[in-house]
Amino acid sequence: MDKKRIAIAVGVLVFIFGIVLGVDLLQRSQVADLPAGSVPIYIANKLIGGFTPNDLGQLDQVTFKDKEEGKTQEGWLLSDVLLLHIDPESLNADTEITVSSSSREKSATLTWDHVKDDKNMVLFDMSSRGTLKLVAKEGTLQAREKWVQDVDRIDIK
Amino acid sequence: MISNSSEPQETKKPYFTTFELILLAMFSALVVIAKIALRLPLRLSGHSGLFWMAIVIVAAGVVPKRGSVALVGLTSGLLAGFLGMGDFGALNTFLSYTMVGVGTELALWLLEFPEKLVPAALAAAIGHLTKFLVKWIFGMISGAPVGIVTLGLAWAMLSYVFWGALGGILGALTLKALRKAGFFAYLAEKR
Repeated sequence: MDKKRIAIAVGVLVFIFGIVLGVDLLQRSQVADLPAGSVPIYIANKLIGGFTPNDLGQLDQVTFKDKEEGKTQEGWLLSDVLLLHIDPESLNADTEITVSSSSREKSATLTWDHVKDDKNMVLFDMSSRGTLKLVAKEGTLQAREKWVQDVDRIDIK
Repeated sequence: MISNSSEPQETKKPYFTTFELILLAMFSALVVIAKIALRLPLRLSGHSGLFWMAIVIVAAGVVPKRGSVALVGLTSGLLAGFLGMGDFGALNTFLSYTMVGVGTELALWLLEFPEKLVPAALAAAIGHLTKFLVKWIFGMISGAPVGIVTLGLAWAMLSYVFWGALGGILGALTLKALRKAGFFAYLAEKR
């Protein structure tokens, strides 16, 4: 009897895995243009590329502890992500970079001067769902309420 | 039937005694405190489940009544929600904490023995995975994008199951140690 119950419990776990991964696969198959999960980058509303899963391996990860809860935030610097796709000559100190999440209706606009400064540590941390969250050690984004979760677009102006 | 009106009416016994409710409230507070104070320097999804699920399994063993673990989840959810914990808003936090309790409760209805290692590990793994499910469903409802890493979800789920199960084992071992120390005999006197 015990073995039967344990088998049912394991079955429940496998069932949940199947449902979640199945739905995720379905969602990925419906995404066009860029690889699923990528974050498109626009300059003056023109798509110039995206932060794709392939980029992750090319970039170093950095960490910091957020001031409010002392949790370690780890991920890829926004400046590194942008420089993979954009010529640094085209970015001025006051160029505005807006990182947004349509699902959360949140966005953060930062200047290139702020983003490229390593001490600010403006980075993409990965959530448990595998989506990107924009956080920073210094500046307005150091407050957790200002963080942008489930990032799905980067605009540069 | 003849009833004697002079006899005192039998009062309905509450399902949980006051002592049990105090214990459950303390476990709920412990869940929230553990989440705030006990931090492992790990960057693995769901690693807080180690302490969290251990406390939940201990609560299931100390107050072995149906609904006790769900009540711990609900109370800790209210506490965490009002304390503004979590990155995704109070409702998400409240439901995450509550569903950990409800999920573990349902799993324990099936598995029954929180003091045994395997049932405790499985119940805790299922309970902890329901927390992940809440976050995932919230993401779906809000139209959040799919993850950037193809197998990110699978790894995250495995991590939740692993830490939840480990927490369950820790909880079961704690219950065994409490029994050995005579804590349950002490509780029986108090009840």
